Amino acid sequence: MGEPAIVLEGGVKSAFKDKVMELLPEGGNLNMCLTCGLCSSGCPATGLEDMDPRKFLRMAMLGLDEEILKTDWVWMCTMCQRCIYACPMQINIPQLVYQARKTWKREDKPKGIIGSCDQAIRTEGNSAMGASSEDFKFVVEDILEEVCEEQESCKNLVAPVNKKGAEFFLNQNSREPVTEPDEMVPLWKILNYVGADWTYGTVGWAAENYCMFAAEDDDWEQVVRNKMKAVEDLGIKSWLNTE
Amino acid sequence: MNIELHTLAEVQNVSGEEGNFTVTVKKAPRYVDMEKCIACGECAAKCPKKVDDEYQAGLSKRKAAYIPYGQSVPLKYALDGENCIMIQKGKCGACEQICPTQAIKFDDKEEILDVNVGSVILTPGFKAFDPVDLDYTYYKKTPDVVTSLEYERLLSASGPCAGHLVRPSDGKEPRKIAWLQCVGSRDINRCGNGFCSSVCCMYAIKQSVITAEHTTGDIDQTILYMDIRSHGKEFDKYYESAKKGGINFVQARPHTILPGPDGNGAIIQYADKSGNMVEEVYDLVVLSIGLQAPKDAQQLSQTVGFELNKYGFVEATSFEPVSTTKAGVFSSGAFNAPMDIPQAVTDASSAAANAAVMLAESRGSMTQDKVWPEERDIAGEEARIGVFVCSCGTNIAGTVDVKAVSEYASSLPGVTLVENNLFTCSTDTQDLIAAKIKENNLNRIVVAACTPRTHEPLFKETLKEAGLNEYLVEMANIRNQNSWVHQDNPEKATEKAKDQVRMAVAKAALLQPLSKMSVDVTQKAMVVGGGMSGMTSALGIADMGYDVVLLEKSDMLGGNAWALSKTWRGEEIKPEVEKLVAKVENHDKITILKKAMLKTAVGSVGNFVSEVDVDGETKAVKYGVAVVATGGKEYKPNEYAYGESDRVKTHLEFDKMLDSGATSSADSVVFIQCVGSRNEERPYCSRVCCTHTVESAIRLKEQKPEMSVFVLNRDIRTYGLREDLYTKARQLGVIFVKYTLDAKPQVSASGDSVSVKVADPMLGGRELDIKADYLVLATAIVPNETKELVELYKCATGDDGFLTEAHPKLRPVDLSVDGLFVAGLCHYPKPLDEAIGQAQAATSRAGVILARTELPLDSIKSEVTELCDGCALCVDTCPYNAISLESYEDKGKEHRRIVTDKALCKGCGVCMATCPKGGVEVNGFTMDQLKAQVTSALAGL
Repeated sequence: MGEPAIVLEGGVKSAFKDKVMELLPEGGNLNMCLTCGLCSSGCPATGLEDMDPRKFLRMAMLGLDEEILKTDWVWMCTMCQRCIYACPMQINIPQLVYQARKTWKREDKPKGIIGSCDQAIRTEGNSAMGASSEDFKFVVEDILEEVCEEQESCKNLVAPVNKKGAEFFLNQNSREPVTEPDEMVPLWKILNYVGADWTYGTVGWAAENYCMFAAEDDDWEQVVRNKMKAVEDLGIKSWLNTE
Repeated sequence: MNIELHTLAEVQNVSGEEGNFTVTVKKAPRYVDMEKCIACGECAAKCPKKVDDEYQAGLSKRKAAYIPYGQSVPLKYALDGENCIMIQKGKCGACEQICPTQAIKFDDKEEILDVNVGSVILTPGFKAFDPVDLDYTYYKKTPDVVTSLEYERLLSASGPCAGHLVRPSDGKEPRKIAWLQCVGSRDINRCGNGFCSSVCCMYAIKQSVITAEHTTGDIDQTILYMDIRSHGKEFDKYYESAKKGGINFVQARPHTILPGPDGNGAIIQYADKSGNMVEEVYDLVVLSIGLQAPKDAQQLSQTVGFELNKYGFVEATSFEPVSTTKAGVFSSGAFNAPMDIPQAVTDASSAAANAAVMLAESRGSMTQDKVWPEERDIAGEEARIGVFVCSCGTNIAGTVDVKAVSEYASSLPGVTLVENNLFTCSTDTQDLIAAKIKENNLNRIVVAACTPRTHEPLFKETLKEAGLNEYLVEMANIRNQNSWVHQDNPEKATEKAKDQVRMAVAKAALLQPLSKMSVDVTQKAMVVGGGMSGMTSALGIADMGYDVVLLEKSDMLGGNAWALSKTWRGEEIKPEVEKLVAKVENHDKITILKKAMLKTAVGSVGNFVSEVDVDGETKAVKYGVAVVATGGKEYKPNEYAYGESDRVKTHLEFDKMLDSGATSSADSVVFIQCVGSRNEERPYCSRVCCTHTVESAIRLKEQKPEMSVFVLNRDIRTYGLREDLYTKARQLGVIFVKYTLDAKPQVSASGDSVSVKVADPMLGGRELDIKADYLVLATAIVPNETKELVELYKCATGDDGFLTEAHPKLRPVDLSVDGLFVAGLCHYPKPLDEAIGQAQAATSRAGVILARTELPLDSIKSEVTELCDGCALCVDTCPYNAISLESYEDKGKEHRRIVTDKALCKGCGVCMATCPKGGVEVNGFTMDQLKAQVTSALAGL
């Protein structure tokens, strides 16, 4: 391999990994790696940027902080948690990746993710697509009307918005109302079928939270708090988030 | 005869104490009268109720009237009360109607009985891990993902597909098979089994090798592993030969197994060592499932009152490895920890030794001797030969046409009866042979099956049972010498089997009854070697009440143990050595000879005599048995800058520094594994070095957490519960790097530091350049020189210089010479607890002989004939010094002739081959008998 030898002198300095270990319960088991490669075998991002989860962790263990904090690979992780699900040592690689993302300056982070986070902060509904609450309400009502008319079995279908005191507050990924509005209907049908008392809201209605993927903790918290307040303001007990 | 067997039994209560327990046993009803059942199988044939067959891992059905498997002991049928229609619903009774001996007892009741015993040995075995909850394996969700136990049945001649391997989905023979290691082992996430199951690597390799033998044409087999743990004796050679035989070993672990196309086979995706994704479709995937504590371990521990460790195995110490925390209660086998058969059999003998020591006072007070039926005199009878041709499942019948061989045998002169059996060695077949002997008045038996080495004793017993002299049986080895080696040519194999049977029949016709022989036993033992193993054996034998002479070549007892600090369980070793030395030195039955060397050894089991050089003085010792425990030592390497720099140490050298705290100034320490092991010169694994290294690494990290510790290894082999140490070492931040033989670490030393360069496969082979304060070499364990001893006793060593046991699985502590036993490092590298266990096992085995005053001998001995003229040629060639000359008078003239010491003679026949005039013959292998065999062999030419 063309890469330079890694010189390891008296004490491996892995400042980054050690810091992450302090943050996590049981240190996220980060030291426990058997290098079996199960994580890499199941990771959708293996091979991208010449990186995979095992290699990422290995480099962290060897103190190659500069390299792992620079690689774009951390942004290719989908945070799906397949790795930790089956890892024999239950190593919290997702958190290691997340913490690596956090070290990036906001302006260096991928524009798409940061942009989506910014939109969410800007809109009342926390929509990463920037969809307005009026548009969302309109689309829901429009689609509902259409379905009730066209499908005999859906005559009594409901999709309430801002219904106070409902049992469930349902979030909606804003991709659907914006680009694929028909995709919302199946879930309505299920909820209707089981007789659930539910509602959308015009505040904090979007399910997605790109601020989390962007590892922008303050913004992430702000988005969550806004949604929580929306649920409470409508006097609802249960919050359903499909993301 | 001296074993009382209670089946369907469960321990309900144990009261009393060491030496006097009352065990309350609940016996579930069998619903079959054991006295009446003749195991004809009619009940099972008629029974209409089919249930999953546990023995076949649920792959096929059995009846509610059943035996678990063909070799069941006792061979008596049982009704499965939970499934029997009559017992559950009061209707049916088919078995009762058909049973020819009225053995069915629907009204059989549960029985509670009290057994009074002096000690208790627990051997409940293990429970196989059930992977059904590991959703990502797709086990039970797609048919061609099976467990290794299910696969074992698929592969077995007595399995549901009679040894013709097919996959469950469509019944086709799989051509591409993958094994997944560590399923339910070494996993603290999806199951609590943080330990290594110790045996799965070897059984997976074995299964793959056998698969290649059971299938035709090319077959693609891959074992996906984390570390290959072939740490047992001769195991690494097996692993290497499997690699050469084309089995793929891939260090990788798939995440999810997916059903294959159309639901057949399975798809596996994995990242290889360098992180490249590989996707393969396999016809069959085998999950190498681990061994867990038995399911009622907890209940048993409460009932009996002993402790379990966190994994549910028996809590024990390294110095009393088979003793539970309750006095008088011992345990052996996989209940102690996952282990393989040689280890479990050794363990069983250790438990027996502990019980025997405890019960020494009452030894023999309740035992009985077997009385055989009177032998029928066959003098003057024509040969009436019975031939039993074994199918050995498909082992023989898969290649040799056993029907054709049987038919052919009926045409041979002197043959009265021919039978073909699925397993001629099974208990029911023994009964059948005995019955046939009586029915047909047979007076010679030929068994065409496997090797007499393992099976002749069994058939001899059967003959005795039927009232025939035990030497009237002849075996034709149509398995090892035929079907196993001629699989690719069944037609010629069948012809060869006919030749073999014809030869055996020709010889059998000339067999004569041989009279019984015995020798008196000197009830005294000699133990060679005063290390922990030798001392343990000596103490055990002495505690059983026999005199022991213990030889130690140095002037101090204790051996290697003085150089060791702690066991893998963390116990201090030196105080235990001191205690043992004191016990041995103060025992009135033990004579210790220090600075002692064995000079001569004559005699045989029961009666040995040796001259021992004790510090220049010769002493004669008479003994009945000997335990050889001559030990081993740490190999001193000539690589990795050892000897060039005082910063490069072996384990034992580094241990001294660790003990003194001299290591605390270091900032970085590197260990290199397999130094002098697993290479061309020493192709064995030294078994203890991986555990030793992780222990030392842990000590370093505990002394100084910020120290860098690297372990460069080929596989980490912290087998069994030792895996916890490996886990702990990693937890503390020790970094493990794999290397291969073709890219060994490069070491250069200068001044106070050592530079170690190694490629890290996990980084695509990128080089690590480690600057270390110390380099520790985990060097091999080599046996002490045993050449002289081996020559004196005529026992054997393997290629690596370790003493060879009589049979690795069945007789793991017996040497090939009767009356000699082996323990400790001279047998194979092993940790202290295993050495002590083995030494206890040797104690037990020695006790079997020492408990008798008289020992029966084999009657295959050389004997002088009237043609001997006393030329003495054979006296010199006899390898056992069994022949001497004597004078006798005939018609007033003095003559000389030879005489054989029956106790020394092994019946090898060297004398007979040497003698130019037929003056000596070996009974059972006389010139006439051999000639008949040779003539018969050439009959077809």
